[in-house]
Amino acid sequence: MTSPSSVSKSMTMGEAGLMSAFAVLAFVCFLGAAMGHDSAFSFHAALACSASLSAVVMIGNRYLDRPAALPAAEIGGRPNYYLGPIKFASAMAMFWGIAGFTVGLIIAMQLAWPALNFDLPWTTFGRLRPLHTSAVIFAFGGNVLIASSFYVVQKTCRTRLAGDLAPWFVVVGYNFFILIAGTGYLQGVTQSKEYAEPEWYADLWLTIVWVTYLFVFLMTLVKRKEPHIFVANWFYLAFIITIAVLHLGNNPALPVSFLGSKSYIVWGGVQDAMFQWWYGHNAVGFFLTAGFLAIMYYFIPKRAERPVYSYRLSIIHFWALIFLYIWAGPHHLHYTALPDWAQTLGMTFSIMLWMPSWGGMINGLMTLSGAWDKLRTDPVLRMMVVSVAFYGMSTFEGPMMAIKVVNSLSHYTDWTIGHVHSGALGWVGFVSFGALYCLIPWLWNRQLYSLKLVNWHFWISTIGIVLYISAMWVSGILQGLMWRAYTSLGFLEYSFIESVEAMHPFYIIRAAGGALFLIGALIMAVNLWMTVNAGKANETKGAGAVQPAE
Amino acid sequence: MKAIIQIESLASILVSTLWTPIFVGIFIAIVAYALWPRNKTLFDAAARMPLRED
Repeated sequence: MTSPSSVSKSMTMGEAGLMSAFAVLAFVCFLGAAMGHDSAFSFHAALACSASLSAVVMIGNRYLDRPAALPAAEIGGRPNYYLGPIKFASAMAMFWGIAGFTVGLIIAMQLAWPALNFDLPWTTFGRLRPLHTSAVIFAFGGNVLIASSFYVVQKTCRTRLAGDLAPWFVVVGYNFFILIAGTGYLQGVTQSKEYAEPEWYADLWLTIVWVTYLFVFLMTLVKRKEPHIFVANWFYLAFIITIAVLHLGNNPALPVSFLGSKSYIVWGGVQDAMFQWWYGHNAVGFFLTAGFLAIMYYFIPKRAERPVYSYRLSIIHFWALIFLYIWAGPHHLHYTALPDWAQTLGMTFSIMLWMPSWGGMINGLMTLSGAWDKLRTDPVLRMMVVSVAFYGMSTFEGPMMAIKVVNSLSHYTDWTIGHVHSGALGWVGFVSFGALYCLIPWLWNRQLYSLKLVNWHFWISTIGIVLYISAMWVSGILQGLMWRAYTSLGFLEYSFIESVEAMHPFYIIRAAGGALFLIGALIMAVNLWMTVNAGKANETKGAGAVQPAE
Repeated sequence: MKAIIQIESLASILVSTLWTPIFVGIFIAIVAYALWPRNKTLFDAAARMPLRED
């Protein structure tokens, strides 16, 4: 006989509901796999079928293993923080980071040595390139954002994350979306919209996951114990809401068949282009900027042990970013069929964006006032501060490139690639690395395994970034100048292939830079692995004071 | 019916022409809120929120 428990155990609505929903989904996906019109669709349906069945089993096992009562919101007057889903998302971030950087290196080498695409459809540049961008932006960056937002919102609201299964649904569901998107690209499944390549069924799944994410975040804010909502949460909320709006705005598509992967976007022509770059630039603004600024506003003060330099500036530059960013998209469509006034509007708002961007940079950097000496001793803090410097640099370069005359030289050249990577590697990459170097020891209650390895990571990756972006600057401007060079008789001076030939040395330098960046990330993965598995347990702060003298 | 048309046209004027002054007004209000001297103590405390241990 089992001992009688005071609370009788029963399934929550969420557990029972999710188990049934996944059981139905498994059945539907089974049919989809059997009846699919193309092999990629059948493959994805089979994948979703087995994932749904696993979800049913895992939720069931979780129920059987757990005590009758759900985890308490507080233990001993302190919030009982929900860390499991955060641990999962941060581990996935590291995994996808390595995967995404590796694919980036492969396609960089393909550009230098085209034979490296092996003449196979799955490994062509056209398929691997979206795999690279999605893996680094959405898989690596997205997992860092979800993990850090779930951590920061709990800590600054002093309350346990809302929901029991919902946070797990968000992190696992999001990574399943990445899997569907990535395996789709390799099979040639794509909407052909940059940074929005996943097809209709992946988009639908992401919508469900993202709305759940928004609800978990909002409900945690609602039950906060702190009256004031910390500025980082404002940035996270702006990121979550805007990405939902962008995703819905850019992806209304009609599937050719509900049993096939191909769909058509409802907009046509220049409207589609405008929607695409409204989406594309705001993905930069709200995914790669607002979300990571939230990381800056929590992790830099925490690591430097200094308050936010100017909280007033943080409010003003937050709202300035919100009001301005949404209009900057047309600068991606200069000298196209887009009406001239819309191009000028996009250019004007891009230039105005320089101010709030630098407001954020100044606030991040000046948070170190009184703690500048820590840059010498703490490579993690140095990494985050250098990331903010890169943010300042690329948000100066961006508005400059949005000016139409500058754009006439820079557009369609490698300069754009260099600009993107100074933002992506320097700003997003480094601030994410810094956040993970903080977060992993906090989550597992360990000391970071080796600061020396962080130092190695920092320098190797920094040299990698500098090689990358300077190679692309030179190559891009060279390319742009070659394309517009005329002879005295008014003929084009260079053929296109001559400009391609001129790029070759810079492509090799760029690949070398990417290789260094990847090596740095591998060092990081080893360091974090050792932190979790062989690191020393973190001593509780202040414990020394109560210990008797020996 | 006439009233509905009037409300509709008013709404369309509001969103199509007046959004610039409305947004500028909202933004100025936000800046005033951020710089209001009496809010300084609140913001100074908020700036230290990441540093608090529980």
